[in-house]
Amino acid sequence: MVIRVVGAFFAVFCFSILLELPVKQLLYAGFVGAVGWMVYLLVEPNHSVVAAAFVSSLVIALLCHIFARLFKKPVTVYFVAGILPSVPGASIYRTVLYLIQGDMSLSTYYLMETLQVAGGIAVAIFIMDSLFRIRKKEKQESLTERRQSPTGRG
Amino acid sequence: MLMETAVLAGEIMLSSGAEIYRVEDTMNHILKMSDAKTADAYVLSTGVLATLENPKAETITVVRRVNERATNLNRICAVNDISRRFCAGSITLETAHRAMQEVEKVQIYKDLFKKISIIGVTGGFALLLGGSMLDGLTAGIVGAVLALVLWLTEKISLNDFCKNAIGGFVIAYSSFVLKQWVLRSCNVDLVVIGSIMPIVPGVTFTTAIRDTLNGDYSSGVARMVEAVVVALAVAAGVGLAMLLWNMMTGGSMLWS
Repeated sequence: MVIRVVGAFFAVFCFSILLELPVKQLLYAGFVGAVGWMVYLLVEPNHSVVAAAFVSSLVIALLCHIFARLFKKPVTVYFVAGILPSVPGASIYRTVLYLIQGDMSLSTYYLMETLQVAGGIAVAIFIMDSLFRIRKKEKQESLTERRQSPTGRG
Repeated sequence: MLMETAVLAGEIMLSSGAEIYRVEDTMNHILKMSDAKTADAYVLSTGVLATLENPKAETITVVRRVNERATNLNRICAVNDISRRFCAGSITLETAHRAMQEVEKVQIYKDLFKKISIIGVTGGFALLLGGSMLDGLTAGIVGAVLALVLWLTEKISLNDFCKNAIGGFVIAYSSFVLKQWVLRSCNVDLVVIGSIMPIVPGVTFTTAIRDTLNGDYSSGVARMVEAVVVALAVAAGVGLAMLLWNMMTGGSMLWS
């Protein structure tokens, strides 16, 4: 478990280098990835892969939004690398593997799993984005009100 | 000048793989600094459009086509930073424009260093998926092969589909070879899965979802299709390697 989490940190860290993430942010991105993967590993044994991907994406999205606000950087910066461990690369691979071996039922099973995991990640991102969007709207509205009142210009 | 800056900002962000919503937001913020009656930015996944409508002067509209797209978080960060400072009034338009032109040239990590980090990615992913140290090492070697192949395909400027298919093929095939003759006790499944991670379209996929949910359907769908095509290319490459391996070894599957 520890090795796997360290592996996640290392993988995300290196992937961020590929994406030209500024040096200072590398550690945070790695941290996001490691925490997300830890959550995934904690959820997975008792629940399905889809549930694990969903919950870990939720945690990753939350962390990303918090970091983005703390360090005043776009959310994407932490997001893209952090979410990678949850992306169903393994399911894609197995889909192809069983397709080649001629085992149609297993292949279809893993194809469905791929789509479900992708859907789970999508829903998790959607939930977090929407939650943070609500707060942002409120802030913007209060800001425009304040700006309009003293000067009196439309 | 303001227009030029806004369009440049949009162009850089879009080609660096930012979400449509963010690109439009940034451009609109910059355009709002003018005294024009209406200022609007319209961004698609393949180009940016911006217009300034001023009753006293001419209406200006600029279109910019964006061809190459590669995720570059540093540029997104930097442009975001510049536009924030410009809109807050702490830097002038000239400084902002020059700073953005500088951003386009900056590359933090050297190419060689990036290629080395591919090894780290593949090794790390093999460990992450529950592999042993040996699996990590094997995936690292496969990653090095992948880095070499990616470098070669860039050299001859191959299109994306072929690049990813060849990448997938080389990964799978070199993993099988390593398993067969060099590192017999490694888990070949994990090695392949870990190694395809650098070319699996996770980033495109995430951006596609966020675009779609922000209401930018056309770009969302475009990016989703891009992700599917890349995934298919990788799968085709891996599948082909498996078929070829099967034919050469007379159907003996070594990974089951």
